[in-house]
Amino acid sequence: MSVRLAARGLAFAAAACLTLAAGRARADVTLLFWPGPESQAMQKVIDAFNAGPGKTDGFAVKQLLFSRTGYFDKELADLAAGSKDFDLALVTTYTLGRYVPFLSPVGDYVSAAAQQAYAPAALDSLKSDGALYGVPTDISVHFLYYRTDLIDRLLKDAAWQKEYAAIAKARLGETMTPKPPADWHWDDYVATSLFFTKSLNQASPVRYGTVLQLKNLIFNVMLWDDTLVADGGNWLTAAGKPEIDSAPTMKAVRTYLTIIQDHATPPGSIDYEFPEANQAFGSGQVATMLQWNAAYAIVNDPKQMPMTAGHVGIAPMPAGPAGHKTHLHSLGIGLNKASSHKQQAGMFLTYLATEPAMEIYAKAGGTPPMPAVLQGMAATHPDFALVAKEAAQDGYVIRGGTASTAMAIYTLLAEKLSAIWSGQVFPADGLKSVQQGMASVLKP
Amino acid sequence: MPAPRVIRRREGWLLIAPLAAFLVLWLGFPFLTDVVYSVSQVGFTTLRQPRLSGFGHYAAVLRDAAFWHAMGFSFRYAAVETVVQVAAGLALAVALAPILSRHRFLLAFILLPLMIAPALNGLMYRLMLNDFVGIIPAYLGMLSLSPDLLSTGWVFVTVAAIDAVQNTPFTLLLVLAALQAIPGELRDAARVDGASAWQEFRRVVLPLLLPVLGIAGLVRFIDSFRVFDHIYVLTGGGPGNETTGISIYIYKAFFQQQQLGLAVAASMILLLLSLAALSLLMHRSLRGAVA
Repeated sequence: MSVRLAARGLAFAAAACLTLAAGRARADVTLLFWPGPESQAMQKVIDAFNAGPGKTDGFAVKQLLFSRTGYFDKELADLAAGSKDFDLALVTTYTLGRYVPFLSPVGDYVSAAAQQAYAPAALDSLKSDGALYGVPTDISVHFLYYRTDLIDRLLKDAAWQKEYAAIAKARLGETMTPKPPADWHWDDYVATSLFFTKSLNQASPVRYGTVLQLKNLIFNVMLWDDTLVADGGNWLTAAGKPEIDSAPTMKAVRTYLTIIQDHATPPGSIDYEFPEANQAFGSGQVATMLQWNAAYAIVNDPKQMPMTAGHVGIAPMPAGPAGHKTHLHSLGIGLNKASSHKQQAGMFLTYLATEPAMEIYAKAGGTPPMPAVLQGMAATHPDFALVAKEAAQDGYVIRGGTASTAMAIYTLLAEKLSAIWSGQVFPADGLKSVQQGMASVLKP
Repeated sequence: MPAPRVIRRREGWLLIAPLAAFLVLWLGFPFLTDVVYSVSQVGFTTLRQPRLSGFGHYAAVLRDAAFWHAMGFSFRYAAVETVVQVAAGLALAVALAPILSRHRFLLAFILLPLMIAPALNGLMYRLMLNDFVGIIPAYLGMLSLSPDLLSTGWVFVTVAAIDAVQNTPFTLLLVLAALQAIPGELRDAARVDGASAWQEFRRVVLPLLLPVLGIAGLVRFIDSFRVFDHIYVLTGGGPGNETTGISIYIYKAFFQQQQLGLAVAASMILLLLSLAALSLLMHRSLRGAVA
């Protein structure tokens, strides 16, 4: 009896080992990714690949998901350790500099013809020293979101316009007239935010004029950078020296501080990031929002945000002396230098860098940086047309934004700006501290 | 009789050998690596080729105002948490002991907060503290109160309260067990001698609970000092660096600023301070036990 049991156990173990070995012999490709709408959309592309070219070539692609919190740090640790547990991994514009030493270039897998299909800014944002290190799959830009019902009324109602002019004069020192959001400068955004703040204007139908994301977080720095660059500022000079302690930076800081100090943003904004800002706007109690393009599908969804669905307008970020400017970054798929299945992983990358694959991705909820795909779906996705326009015209990558020091600078800015927003430090002292910190980070 | 003692010692070594080997492998090797990294120039691309550079990282840490700010936060936070959780755990254990002795299943509900992962706890409070959909601002609004619980003035109290709600059941459990171990005859004797309830608690129960309160306090202090999860998820260490404790400081220096040597040096300084404090505590408690 025990001999039979032992024999059965051995047979089972042998079968399990053979199955594992078969999987390994089949050279399946593992993609390290983070959970969320991007991985859900990517799964549809993977399913199509596995049913098509993958089946023909005798291998499959599967995802390995790390949690979003601390994702980039975990990926860095695994790449630096030479992990062979994954062949492909998520890369982004702002983490590329850290990952490049552990990635293989992917230019060989993306033909020149395929590269033509991409928005040039998207490809450039995943290049380092001229070499492409990621196949772009998503593009992220910023929109100005606004309540169409409120702004339409503001543009027609004489009494509202009179009050708008009075508030602008009192708080900003100049008489102003409301404009369509697509023509806004930063002063128009501030004036409109103040107008729709109930504590300043009892006639406002909403409580807050806008919602800012002020948490100690690098993505919130990317949003604030739009005011900096529109005002003619940047992180670094053309020569690579820090120029954060400058007049354009102070102007960008004062834009935010005016909104905060006049309570035009909810008090909890000091801890807001993407979901909280969406929730605030979707509550129907906020008139405008500066937010990532990915929020459009959420705040305009009648199931998720019934208070705002159907009343959401999008426009380019407000302009400054340098015009409308929006931070642009790409998400992409990079090739792990330590991968043992580079050939198969490269075949998946070649498939990924095609319009049909990106159409699948877009239909499943992604925002691929291929203008033709975006324009082709503009009828069902009104935000895609603006994404394509922004990527082509207003998108920028901040100087130093792809370097290996980018994350360190983002982290420093996130902490110091958060201290300024909360009143922990004076703006001038905070910016001086950032300048010194950046000089230290950039020291060779 | 020397022979039996030699045999016992050898057997003792053999018995702890597996655990010792495990500790040497899983703790000793990383510890040695940390020592080397703390005195080396090392980055993510040179993890296997650190370059010895002396004690510069230690000097940089000791000069860094952000390090001392983080240490100050950790000390204050740990001190407050220890006092609050020990006092609340004691009070709750004493108050609930009669009910819990009759309905033991209620203990499972009281211990529920301990079952939640601290990071998930932080995420939960992000929702509960939200201005628009959070239940905490909603209930406070009913009382005409609207404090900004994550602002500079309130954030320390908020994160401390979240920790206290989650971890006080740990102290309660320890004190409850100790309460139940107190011989009933001692309390009966005090009552027979005419002691009031307060005198019985102060003169009989509390002295017998002191050792377990000390242990609970020490464990909570250590845990609170190295707090990370719920604070990082809820505030990211902000606003500014308002809630950046030593664990968040080390994490950010290591992963986000990529100053591996400096981060490891900070953790080594923390280790040395902790060893010094623990040695002192052990020395005093052993001296007390011998006396």
